[in-house]
Amino acid sequence: MDNGATMHLAVSLADPSLETGLEFSRLAGFVQKAEAAGLDMVLLADAAPASESEAANKRMPFEATTLLAALATVTSRIGLVAAASTSAHQPYNLARRFASLDVISHGRSGWNATMTQAPREAANFSRPEGFSPNDFRRRSEEYIGIVQGLWQGWDADALLFDQSGGRFHDPEKMHLLEHKGEFFSVRGPLNVARSPQDTPVLVLSGLQESDFDIATSTADVILLDGGLVEGATERYDDIRRRVTACGRDPDAVKVLTNVALIADSKPAAVAERLEKEFRARGCDGFNILMPEQLSALDDFVGLVLPELRRRGLVRESYRGKTLRSHLGLAGGGDR
Amino acid sequence: MTARQMKLGAFLWATGHHIAAWRHPKAHVTAGIDIDHYIQLARTAEAAKFDMVFCEDAAGLREANIGIASQTSRSIGFEPISLLSALAVQTSRIGLVSTASTSYNEPYGLARTFLSLDHLSGGRAGWNLVTSASPIEAANFGATGLKPHADRYERAREFAGVVTGLWHGKASGHNGQSFSVRDPLDLPRSPQGAPVMVQAGASDVGRDLAARTADVVFTAAQTFEEAKAFYDDLKGRLPAYGREPDDIKIMPGVAPVVAETEAEAREKYEELQELIPDDVGVALLSSYLSISDLWRYPIDGPLPELPESEGMKSRQALVIEQSRRDGLSIRQLARHFAGARGHWRIVGTAAQVADELQARFEGGAADGFNVMPSYFPGELDAFATLVVPELQRRGLFRTEYQGRTLRDHLGLKRPV
Repeated sequence: MDNGATMHLAVSLADPSLETGLEFSRLAGFVQKAEAAGLDMVLLADAAPASESEAANKRMPFEATTLLAALATVTSRIGLVAAASTSAHQPYNLARRFASLDVISHGRSGWNATMTQAPREAANFSRPEGFSPNDFRRRSEEYIGIVQGLWQGWDADALLFDQSGGRFHDPEKMHLLEHKGEFFSVRGPLNVARSPQDTPVLVLSGLQESDFDIATSTADVILLDGGLVEGATERYDDIRRRVTACGRDPDAVKVLTNVALIADSKPAAVAERLEKEFRARGCDGFNILMPEQLSALDDFVGLVLPELRRRGLVRESYRGKTLRSHLGLAGGGDR
Repeated sequence: MTARQMKLGAFLWATGHHIAAWRHPKAHVTAGIDIDHYIQLARTAEAAKFDMVFCEDAAGLREANIGIASQTSRSIGFEPISLLSALAVQTSRIGLVSTASTSYNEPYGLARTFLSLDHLSGGRAGWNLVTSASPIEAANFGATGLKPHADRYERAREFAGVVTGLWHGKASGHNGQSFSVRDPLDLPRSPQGAPVMVQAGASDVGRDLAARTADVVFTAAQTFEEAKAFYDDLKGRLPAYGREPDDIKIMPGVAPVVAETEAEAREKYEELQELIPDDVGVALLSSYLSISDLWRYPIDGPLPELPESEGMKSRQALVIEQSRRDGLSIRQLARHFAGARGHWRIVGTAAQVADELQARFEGGAADGFNVMPSYFPGELDAFATLVVPELQRRGLFRTEYQGRTLRDHLGLKRPV
């Protein structure tokens, strides 16, 4: 179990900072290194290009959900979270993709949804005008509700596999969604079994102030930009208050702060900085944004991580098998 | 110049293609939640030098009647893009083909996803275009219901054009009736030029779309004559699109039940047929016929007269034709179609199966076959260990992969 003092650590594999010509085997090596170090999860970015020239210069030859599936087969413990845009997928398809990824990874998957509309993306998905900020927010809220509802369409004990009795599943334990909303109409259920970790982990990022009510009522992990900031403690307290106001356990949402690693700073100084914000109750952990070279992970796991462990901030190894169990979230029990 | 050899697909589906496969004691009943099982199947097919594994797909349940659905293993399984992405890095040579719908996707996203699968696999990906005929799927994507056949194909034609344009690096700035796309794809060009395009629609408009865009066509044909007629018709449509006969590989589905002796094969088949509950068989037949009340008619009587449907026109015609030709009752038809889903069934020894395949291949009715094992893994293993060596002995199938990409295996031109 999470003792409340464990600092959660994720590492982000974001495209613009990556080297050219990346092959799968190198990315696999990176994630395996993060797994050997016991990190909670790797976040796979999937940002839409901001311009035509950026599209042409993209270096990562993989879309994030397909990459996640492949990485799941060459790792066994680390959480794998892929970004996927609400503009690029229908909610049924996205819910189904992640439900399947969670079965493939044995309960180690998560969906990173952003509340920020990528300006060019909609234009590649037959919506040249995009959405107004208000519409995008309402649509995102409806979308997330559908996805989480679909993830709960099958009870954990719905599958019977009763060969002689001819009962494959219990029809009473399969539930239609019957969603009819402003933007979507989705009957359900998914045609994928219930997640081994109950539902895939929902990571929300790109939040504006006006998105916090949606985030605190739906997210498992809230990812905040801006690094180490003044007022982090107040912001963290405010999030926990809002989570409680939604009728949720305040520990049901983990707040991670994005931190850019600076290659030449001293490991002890980095650890010091992270410890300070963590001890001040500014967050539950950090998402480390990788600098230019993948090999920078070596410095983090070889030099900074031992410092954090020496200070008793980070657990020594994985205690469970699912991403929820790494994050200390309910529903992470290993079946 | 080596002799022409047949192409083989291993069609992976749930616990097996037989509707009652999951009840068979040798079937892997938890296939739909066991990724290691699928990795093993793909490796078996790769060791046997199959051209590809193929995953069919629907974005919804297969059966509207929940009671019926709960007696089959088809209500849960892996989503195929994620499944094939996992298989891509656990295999090294075999092609990876998945179905995806033009009705419930956008071309930019679909093109990007398949291209990513193509990069993960080093040029072994293929997309089987479907327009999706099921109202169950339609209800997961809006409140307006299933669109008419012609509208779906109109959208599919534009969709296919945008996808191939994006893969060929030619189509930024598309602004059409159903879709608009501003940018080129943000991934590098495919290792095989472009992922392979597969289609299975057999209606007139479906054949035209295939003739225009497909590299591979899957089809269902019971008799040699039907297979030959389809083959000639489709190849005959190619010149109108500036294409040559060899630019499309036609691969009918085949559902073999093979064993060391014919008697054993028959026994194996009967064992499976006995496991089909009548209500499941009739429900499946109803879905092929796109009608909902077939159960009202006497099960030992003939099929009633049926109106033409907006669903799967070609499959419906095939069922009706067979019922008239062989004078089959609803129960007999139900069992027959439940077993092989309207595909061609061969029950016998490796030599007998090879004889039948050879006759269609050499008789100009097929370029290869999409193999639909009754249950997994046993019946894929049986085909790989019994039929494949027999085909290889006859010089009809490769003994080693010659190239690295799916286009290489299929002998397809690389698009420029």
